[in-house]
Amino acid sequence: MPETTLTLMTGAPVPAPREDDARIPAGTEMVTVTIDGTTKQFPKGTILVEACNSLGADVPFFCYHPGLSSPAVCRQCLVDVKGQPKPVPSCYTPVADKMEVTTASPRVLDIRRQMLEFTLLNHPIDCPICDKAGECTLQKHYFDWDAKYARNDGIKVHKAKKVDIGKHIVLDQERCILCTRCIRVCDEVAKETELTMAMRGDHEVLTTAPGKRLDNPYSLNTVDVCPVGALTSKDFRFTRRVWELQTTPSVCPGCATGCNIEVHTASQEIQRLVPRENPYVNQHWMCDEGRFTYRRISDHRLGVPLVAGAPVEWDRALEQAARLVRATLDQAPGRIGVVFSAQSTNEDLYALARLTWETLGATRAYVAGLDQGWSDNILVSADKNPNTAGALAIGSGRLKSLMDLSNDLKAGALSTLLIVGDAGVLGPAGTAALPLAKLESLIVLAWKRGPLTDAAQVALPLADWAEVDGTVTNRQGAVQRLRAAVPPAGDALPGWEIVSLLAHRLGLPLLFSSGTEGRAPAEATTARAVFLEAKQKMAFMKNADWGRTSLPVQLRFANSRG
Amino acid sequence: MASTLTPTPPKALAAPPARRMVLGVQEPEDMDLPTDPIPLNMGPSHPAMHGTVRMVVDVEGEKITNVDIQIGYLHRCFEKESEYATYTQIFPYTDRLNYVSPMLNNVGYALAVEKLMGISDKLPERVAYIRVIVGEVSRITDHMTCLGAGAMELGAFTVFLYLLKAREWLYELLEEISGARLTHSYVRIGGVSGDLPDGWGAKLLDVIKRTRAVIVECGLLLNRNRIFRDRMDGIGIITKEDAIAWGVTGPVGRSTGLDYDVRKDHPYLVYDRFDFDVPIGSVGDNFDRYMCRLEEIEQSMRIVEQALAKIPAGPIMVDDPRVRLPSKTETYNSIEAMIAHFKVIMDGIHVPPGEVYSFTEGGNGELGFYIVSDGTGRPWKCRVRPPCFANVAVLPRVLPGLFIADIVPTFGMINMIGGECDR
Repeated sequence: MPETTLTLMTGAPVPAPREDDARIPAGTEMVTVTIDGTTKQFPKGTILVEACNSLGADVPFFCYHPGLSSPAVCRQCLVDVKGQPKPVPSCYTPVADKMEVTTASPRVLDIRRQMLEFTLLNHPIDCPICDKAGECTLQKHYFDWDAKYARNDGIKVHKAKKVDIGKHIVLDQERCILCTRCIRVCDEVAKETELTMAMRGDHEVLTTAPGKRLDNPYSLNTVDVCPVGALTSKDFRFTRRVWELQTTPSVCPGCATGCNIEVHTASQEIQRLVPRENPYVNQHWMCDEGRFTYRRISDHRLGVPLVAGAPVEWDRALEQAARLVRATLDQAPGRIGVVFSAQSTNEDLYALARLTWETLGATRAYVAGLDQGWSDNILVSADKNPNTAGALAIGSGRLKSLMDLSNDLKAGALSTLLIVGDAGVLGPAGTAALPLAKLESLIVLAWKRGPLTDAAQVALPLADWAEVDGTVTNRQGAVQRLRAAVPPAGDALPGWEIVSLLAHRLGLPLLFSSGTEGRAPAEATTARAVFLEAKQKMAFMKNADWGRTSLPVQLRFANSRG
Repeated sequence: MASTLTPTPPKALAAPPARRMVLGVQEPEDMDLPTDPIPLNMGPSHPAMHGTVRMVVDVEGEKITNVDIQIGYLHRCFEKESEYATYTQIFPYTDRLNYVSPMLNNVGYALAVEKLMGISDKLPERVAYIRVIVGEVSRITDHMTCLGAGAMELGAFTVFLYLLKAREWLYELLEEISGARLTHSYVRIGGVSGDLPDGWGAKLLDVIKRTRAVIVECGLLLNRNRIFRDRMDGIGIITKEDAIAWGVTGPVGRSTGLDYDVRKDHPYLVYDRFDFDVPIGSVGDNFDRYMCRLEEIEQSMRIVEQALAKIPAGPIMVDDPRVRLPSKTETYNSIEAMIAHFKVIMDGIHVPPGEVYSFTEGGNGELGFYIVSDGTGRPWKCRVRPPCFANVAVLPRVLPGLFIADIVPTFGMINMIGGECDR
């Protein structure tokens, strides 16, 4: 892999191991802790709140975040430790041997309730207009741990309601409960000090550091970690109530890092992308750029098959494509070229590889992808394609570069070219630099309309990353699962299906062994069938797992975020 | 069970059953002309089937040899829908179970959830009294509907109109407290949605007085009516043993002599504080079922009168912010009440994990709710034990041997309510 290993690591506490957790290295020093009467061993250094909650205790917190350092300011996670005169903040206390902990003693519950009452004293009555309502941690903790009506009817302290603090973010200082999570996200994840606390007492506010704006490339993580609606994303605010959203686990297509994400959809459209925890890939975070990759799902999409620029039915388009391929195949089989895309899923690439080398016998295959871009040593990779590793592995050394393609075209070595991808993936030179006019026929499988689909005899609409089930391989070599969150644009189909249909039209159906079930080979009918065969044939997918079928979950029933 | 498409092949007739007495004269032997058995469809589109059930009846001449009762025409996925609704949102669905006594369903469901939450003993006393009152009023409307419709199907249209007139008086009172004539959704987890309006009790007492006169009048029209008695007496006899074996409860079960009324045998709310009788039949025929219902109306009126006399003042909802909805004034003026309101509405009332079976005396018998909670604001499973289901299930045991015309009063007195039976 071209990239270095992941270097993101903050001052994060050691996550508590689960029962079956293989992450505890052999030889780790263990300590014995008793929590609410249950005794268990934990690795030395485990943060107490993680240990408590791993045993089913429900210790609440605002300021603690498993990916950040602990300031112990919210006082929600106080627990009683035997031998200690006062309750201790469990987010700040590592476990110690023979520790005996009570997580819900009357004293602790009382403090928790009193702290919530203080927090709510000046909290604005904003729930009906607040974007966080429905996934708000303050709402959850109040209802779980306090649930007493107000004893105070004084006038609340008012602060600024809409401070434009950055490119993507608006701050409501009234809603802020001063947990400082956002400050730590900037300091520890983005490594830039942009936010700070100012003033004292009930006039204390979150604000930008002198002369700074919140414009680091990870700024939207502050919105995710905000337990209330103080920080809101300009892109998402006031667009949807969160309980209308459905969430589907997936992987960001923005670069080779492959951050794990949740795709939040409503009305069959993507509303936002948020990071999903994966300790091996992205921990809890993702970059701002990745969050906007959802826009490409709706921009300039090719929704219907085109023959000579005119929309047609799938049947006719496939027939025409097969006729063009067949013509070259009959006369000069070596003059067919195929362009693979590093934007495709492993399943698409695998099906295309079989078509290329089994059905067509094409010797000229190339790989295309988006241009290199900026990178940092946090999460962003310079390679802007989600599946470069997969494309290279499936091509197993047979894929040539776009420069070779350009040369071959100039030399007139190709009659028919089958391209997966659109103008964007053809490198810095773009479509204009490729002497496509020398071709007899050009067939394009594309996500978007553009010069390339306009130039093609046949253009077939491809379903994009959020519309398909499949896997992509990140820069670490991890094969990660994409799940369909929205229906394909128009009549678009997944790549493996188009390839399979085309092979069928050529009279040479691609038969996929249906994996481990020992059934007779079948034509590809599901992405999973393709995956299972690829898993058997491809060394890099050996340990890959298709995972469970998961239907979108309505966020209304997914409790709080942040 | 015979196929519905091909007639059953002719078979040798069994020995004819004992002759019936018709108008005091025994049927002559030669009236039993040998005929081909034929399947006859009654319903679902048949006036006596109330649009919600289909009976495939095998008849030889006029005589029934076999009955296949096909239910499900009013299946509305109550149980599945409930898994996608918060506990409070289920109340409107329960209205549509036995839709001639929605209050009883409301109360039965609320008691089940409250039992699972362990707040049954925290209910304010006034809530228990209100629930008893509205429940018994609903029972009266239920029985009046059954008796009126049953009489009408036998030609007694006057009785139908009289009873529905009186039912409307009661519906108007229920509308006054709930805002809806039929689908009240009046009860809430932990209480009721609103207090009884001023003077409501006096109005109810007046209505009861007038209703009592109507009931007496209908009794005079029917009880000694030759035409009515001939269609009811000795028809559709359910034995006590069958009632127990089939799980038949309610007025139908009691008509067989089965002395079982949940209000007496497993008292809930404040039923143990009232003096009322449970009428029991002796024969288990249609007339017993009719008389049981007629008497139960009177007993319900007695309960309502006593409850109205004893009802204490007090709150109409448990005092728990996790259960009750704060007032609008509180909601708009404090963040605490705002959050509580938001959570109760959006997440639903959180019910601790566990399972519960709770049963009450519905209009047609033991109405049970079996609820499994996973700790969220929606039930993981919400199963209903509909009394009608068992009551209808016993019919194939009862109808063979009767005439086609006997189906009408027998089915009428069973009082199947599709909304409840099919859910």
